[in-house]
Amino acid sequence: MGYVAIKGGGRAIAGAEAAMEALRCAEGEAGTPLTLAAIEQQLRLLTSRVVSEGGLYHPRLAALAIKQMQGDTLEAAFALRAYRSTKPRLLDLPVQETRQMRLIRRISSAFKDIPGGQMLGPTTDYALRLMRLDLADESPEAFRSVSRRFMEGVADSDLPDSYPKVVDALREEGLLPPLTRSREAAFDITRDPLVFPVPRSAALATMARAETGSLLAIAYSNMRGYGDVHPTIAELRVGYLPVVLPHPVTGEPVEAGEVLVTECEVVAMYEGADSDGPPTFTLGYGACFGHNEVKAISMAILDRALQKGMRDGPANPSEDPEFVLLHVDGVDSMGFASHYKMPHYVTFQSDMDRLRTTQGKADAAQSSQGVES
Amino acid sequence: MTSMNEWPRGQWLRLWSALPSTLVRATARQLAERYEVEDLELPQSGLGLMPLSDSALGETYFIGEVPLARSQVRLASPAQGPVEGAATLVDDRVGLVRDLAILDAAVGARLPGHESAVELLAQGATVVAESDHQRRALLAATRVDFALLGTAEEDDDE
Repeated sequence: MGYVAIKGGGRAIAGAEAAMEALRCAEGEAGTPLTLAAIEQQLRLLTSRVVSEGGLYHPRLAALAIKQMQGDTLEAAFALRAYRSTKPRLLDLPVQETRQMRLIRRISSAFKDIPGGQMLGPTTDYALRLMRLDLADESPEAFRSVSRRFMEGVADSDLPDSYPKVVDALREEGLLPPLTRSREAAFDITRDPLVFPVPRSAALATMARAETGSLLAIAYSNMRGYGDVHPTIAELRVGYLPVVLPHPVTGEPVEAGEVLVTECEVVAMYEGADSDGPPTFTLGYGACFGHNEVKAISMAILDRALQKGMRDGPANPSEDPEFVLLHVDGVDSMGFASHYKMPHYVTFQSDMDRLRTTQGKADAAQSSQGVES
Repeated sequence: MTSMNEWPRGQWLRLWSALPSTLVRATARQLAERYEVEDLELPQSGLGLMPLSDSALGETYFIGEVPLARSQVRLASPAQGPVEGAATLVDDRVGLVRDLAILDAAVGARLPGHESAVELLAQGATVVAESDHQRRALLAATRVDFALLGTAEEDDDE
């Protein structure tokens, strides 16, 4: 059987697109279209995931991508990446400092008394995983009053805009190595391919837009024993980072907007004394767009594991930069998996031909053995 | 009367962009009717790759991209000569960013008529203060009081 061109594929593809739309709108007269604001606010963690994995902080477009892709996070991130590829790079931003973040949550599992105090913020960490059946039939009136009642129940506070970092306190006590600002240019993963060995900035950038589940899976392997990071969270913070740019006319710093960021520093096993000074704890770092705590923690653990692997050579998969960084991107891996759905008629035909030939030879060999015996 | 001195120039964009864009656009349109506006560069939208300083080891890396729009304008003022203004915003609306550049020029040079833009700063400050209040409420309502745990003789060491 030879290679056959197929007619009518275009119609089928258009039909598939219409079928997707029909299912999205299957509620018919009884339905109400999702607004982007509803997705952005009520599915804020889903939106966070897509801005992070899409690598573009545009919550409104992320909400649109979620709506268009009907909740598929991989496809939504893909759509966001496709959008970004159509836009020009407008300017080089100056380096932003997370110390200026306007926090909505900060915790430490290393100390209970951290400078500035611990604030749980919005979290389900301490919630019972019981279904809230009242949400199944939530009235608009009840829904609209929740936020207002919360605000009314909170007294005015004089909390500061920003908070000191726990790692700074540890540094002052000599438990961490001093912070030395690197002057090395950061690696741009959107323009340069990963050719190993890569600098740590390439690893951090790759993990910052990695797929959450992939990052977690490899970090989990380290947690379970295929590695020895043994992390303690010095600080996990969630907040809005002001984006500060120079004014094009005056040059003075101007706040051009803000982005929601999750940041995590983990303290890991200390390393022995060398010629540079006394032993100190080691650190891992994770930060990504949006409110994505598991991702930031996983990234911090893998950062520490990769630092070790880059220095000493990998002793397990989570310490291997090539293994980790080439397998955590959701768009890459989803694309590879999905491509198997595309026609492979010619290659599979070839596989069948070879199998039949091999079977034929095996049959012939068996027959000749039978004759001889 | 609101004074522009209450807010440094570095905060103007934050305050104006906190308001509905229709307010900003209406005020910019009034100023544009009063002064000839010349685009020193065409308003553009695109992306900026955001470098972040890693607070663990002090290295810089790119956390991802943000949408950006920017505009730079010159207003012709018969009394004060040409004055320049500009805006770069984490947003992708080029029309809005051009209007913000017009407000920036007018308020920066205190051109006659800039008072309405200063009034918008005051309104924006109210919106930003409310947003800050809501964020602080998230913290204040969830502050962990370990001293109380100690009083109750609970073991919180784990």
